[in-house]
Amino acid sequence: MYRQGYSQQYRMNQPPRVLSTKDCAYLTDALSWELLAAKKAYFLASQCSDQQIKHQLEQISQLHQTHYDILLNQLNTSEHDHDHFNYQSYRQ
Amino acid sequence: MNSHTRSYGNYGQRFEGSTSPTIKNPSTQVQQNTQFNDRDRLNDMLATEKWLTDGFNVFAREASHQTLHNDVMHILNETHQAARDVFNLMFEKGWYSLHPEQPSQVSKEYQKFQGYESQFPQEQRTPPYESGGMYQPRQF
Repeated sequence: MYRQGYSQQYRMNQPPRVLSTKDCAYLTDALSWELLAAKKAYFLASQCSDQQIKHQLEQISQLHQTHYDILLNQLNTSEHDHDHFNYQSYRQ
Repeated sequence: MNSHTRSYGNYGQRFEGSTSPTIKNPSTQVQQNTQFNDRDRLNDMLATEKWLTDGFNVFAREASHQTLHNDVMHILNETHQAARDVFNLMFEKGWYSLHPEQPSQVSKEYQKFQGYESQFPQEQRTPPYESGGMYQPRQF
């Protein structure tokens, strides 16, 4: 795709798999939202008298933990294309 | 998931200004005092999920590379599903009611907007809702 080396003719048709500063800022925000949501849902579940509601809230807590891990994985640098030829050339 | 108590509810109730029945289940009773009750807990979680979908919508739009965008879209979609699940559970418990629009009003609007189709700048190549007429993303 974009791994063709940097040349005069070559253009990237979409951004390479590199986290931008903005991506990083959104990711850390979103991680905090998910952690809070997971804890909140679990706390609310623990207070419930209705078993159906309790179960639903526990499921939602699990979902937010899953989302947290998806986002965390995006912060894992081994997932990124930091050896990307173009990226190297920008970095200098 | 919420099949065991589902019904189209209390047809005795009427919405003011409408001849249609209200769509609502019998309300599940909760303690109405200063204490935070189960209904408050579900409402609180629903508000949280709604707030999260707003946040993830912006994140999905602003994400740089495709893999990140796809992950965020996936989370956005599941967060919407979680909000739906809470909403449906609240409906099942009888904490939400719906008021059907008059069929005559709906058909009036249908005809009005059907008329506006004459303003389409391009000819409709495929009938609506049929696959193949869908927007095709750019291929790399």
